[in-house]
Amino acid sequence: MDIILGIRVQDATIIATSKAATRGISILKDTDDKTRELNAHNLIAYTGEAGDTVQFAEYVQANIQLYSMRENDIELSPLATASFVRNQLATSIRSRKPYQVNCLIAGYDTKKDQPTLNWIDYLGTQVELPYGAHGYAGFYTTSLLDKHYRKDMVVDDGLKLLKLCLKELETRMPIDFKGVYVKVVDKDGIRSVELD
Amino acid sequence: MQTTVASEYSNEIHSVPIEHRFNPYSDNGGTVLGIAGEDFAVLAGDTRQVEGYSIQSRYEPKIFDVGDNIVMTANGFAADGVALIDKFRQQLKWYKFDNFGGKLEIKSAARYIQHLLYGKRFFPYYVSTLIAGLDEEGKGAVYSYDPVGSYEREQCRAGGAAASLIMPFLDNQVNFKNQFIPGTDGKEKKPLKYLTLEEVIELVRDAFSSATERHIYVGDGLEIKIVTKDGVRTEYYPLKRD
Amino acid sequence: MNTISQRFTHANTNDVANEINTVHDSLSHKQTLELAPSISVPPISQPTDFLRAHTDDASNPDCKIKIAHGTTTLAFRFQGGIIVAVDSRATAGNWIASQTVNKVIRINPFLLGTMAGGAADCQYWETWLGTQCRLHELREKERISVAAASKILSNLVYEYKGMGLSMGTMVCGHTKKEGPAIYYVDSDGTRLKGDLFCVGSGQTFAYGVLDSEYKWDLTVEEALYLGKRSILAATHRDAYSGGSINLYHINEQGWTYHGNHNVGDVFWDIRDQEQSFVNVDG
Repeated sequence: MDIILGIRVQDATIIATSKAATRGISILKDTDDKTRELNAHNLIAYTGEAGDTVQFAEYVQANIQLYSMRENDIELSPLATASFVRNQLATSIRSRKPYQVNCLIAGYDTKKDQPTLNWIDYLGTQVELPYGAHGYAGFYTTSLLDKHYRKDMVVDDGLKLLKLCLKELETRMPIDFKGVYVKVVDKDGIRSVELD
Repeated sequence: MQTTVASEYSNEIHSVPIEHRFNPYSDNGGTVLGIAGEDFAVLAGDTRQVEGYSIQSRYEPKIFDVGDNIVMTANGFAADGVALIDKFRQQLKWYKFDNFGGKLEIKSAARYIQHLLYGKRFFPYYVSTLIAGLDEEGKGAVYSYDPVGSYEREQCRAGGAAASLIMPFLDNQVNFKNQFIPGTDGKEKKPLKYLTLEEVIELVRDAFSSATERHIYVGDGLEIKIVTKDGVRTEYYPLKRD
Repeated sequence: MNTISQRFTHANTNDVANEINTVHDSLSHKQTLELAPSISVPPISQPTDFLRAHTDDASNPDCKIKIAHGTTTLAFRFQGGIIVAVDSRATAGNWIASQTVNKVIRINPFLLGTMAGGAADCQYWETWLGTQCRLHELREKERISVAAASKILSNLVYEYKGMGLSMGTMVCGHTKKEGPAIYYVDSDGTRLKGDLFCVGSGQTFAYGVLDSEYKWDLTVEEALYLGKRSILAATHRDAYSGGSINLYHINEQGWTYHGNHNVGDVFWDIRDQEQSFVNVDG
């Protein structure tokens, strides 16, 4: 089971996704990136049915970028981005062959100077959260986040909290998920972070 | 049982699901085999046709001369077999109209049959298909297919009900599998060589008389179509009729 | 006149025929299928269940149509390019349908595709991929990249997702822009770029040997042997793999074939040479 975690802090949103790509009983790849950049300040992280995930992420990515090209380089806000993705999934679930994709969208609203984290599942449920996860990772980490999360945290605090979560996942998850890629979305855009 | 109230919603009217037990397939038994020689190829099949435990016919040939020095069989579900062969024959006719009567090479015929079979990938023809003829160099060729069109050129292939009885025999007698030169302590393999037409006919007759002894779906008669550069000829040998 | 009469022709009064045509149309109108033939679907509401009931021997052992399955294939990147190694057995249930299957499809002189899963699915769609790659070449006056070729295939199988296609394939090739590249593509629609993949029922056995001895700095000769040895290990432990081993090497000059190696012979040669397989006597 893939791990997808997101934490929103005061000045940024942090996303962590597991590196393992598993099919059956084999890990086929240990450098799999389960995120796509939707635009300069919005990042989608996804899990779900093999094949659907990448197809869906690249589809919304292309459409969000197309929107900006058509509309005079206006960048979609995190709320608009998340609403668009939610709407796509909500339409999909009512179709003959729905996309089975769950995602987190980390964004930074450059107009309001606010980081956001949106949790969306394949049914089209959308919630704006301070921290969230999909899959089994949530069972291990939400309690930790409930205990340690503070409203005034900054990126470094967030990364420390993330490390705490990962330590727990490494001790308790029955399957090696090959570590995580960590990405931060803030006012300067999207960047990768190496955890030590 | 669910009670339903008449309404405009079609899903309420049909709230009890309609059972689809759609089975358009049957197994009409029989077995076929093809062997390629140096300058000839043969396709052979028994002539019995069955349905369940009843014998429907003792003489229903299933090897066909489809033209252009190619013989073809599609063994398994007879209706699908006939449909496939008819379709191929018809297409071959059109090919000739469009190409000033040009000859369809066997490798092209082989690829085309793959397309016919794969065209029904989600509703397959329930048949094992074989074709035989001569390639561009005049060498004997046999092509074999699975029901959805994966194919391969081979020296020999058995298909249908008694394939599992005949194929090991053919491996041993045509490709000399597990045969060694006497006195070499199983170290030196018997070298491959082309069989003559007479040897091949003997092999085919032995294969079918043996299969008849051990398989209820095989028997009555053996029809062999032989392809040489001079054309296709047919031979018939009786098999046990019990 | 025609439109009026059409409504009363036989095909339109026949519900079954109508249904066939509707499903048929919905499939053949897909844009990416331009060059693919139209594929017929049974005239029922759940064509996928139908197919499963009649062809899936795992869920229904006495199903009538057995589709060939079971394989070991591998490909890996190293200093000298790419090695591709495969077995040659095709099985239908317990029956060994063939020991001489060609599981490497030569898409063009620079691209190879491997075959695991449904033999017909792989053979058919990978030759189809060959035509697509040739068309790309004619249109763009440039050889297709491995990334693009593999994406054509993955998008195609994704169109058919849930319909019962079964394929696990590696698209391997060398282009100036990418260097040597391997993409894993399967019928779920997964497409992964990587250095090393094993696919098929014998994959775990092949991974075992390959992972333990794999180094980027392998010489071509060492790499070819490792490929062959890994498939041998898989044929030895996986009943669904066997027959013979086909070996390929890809570099900037394109692929070269390194022969067909019969497992029956290779096994004893390697056992004597390596003093391995001590569990086997004789």
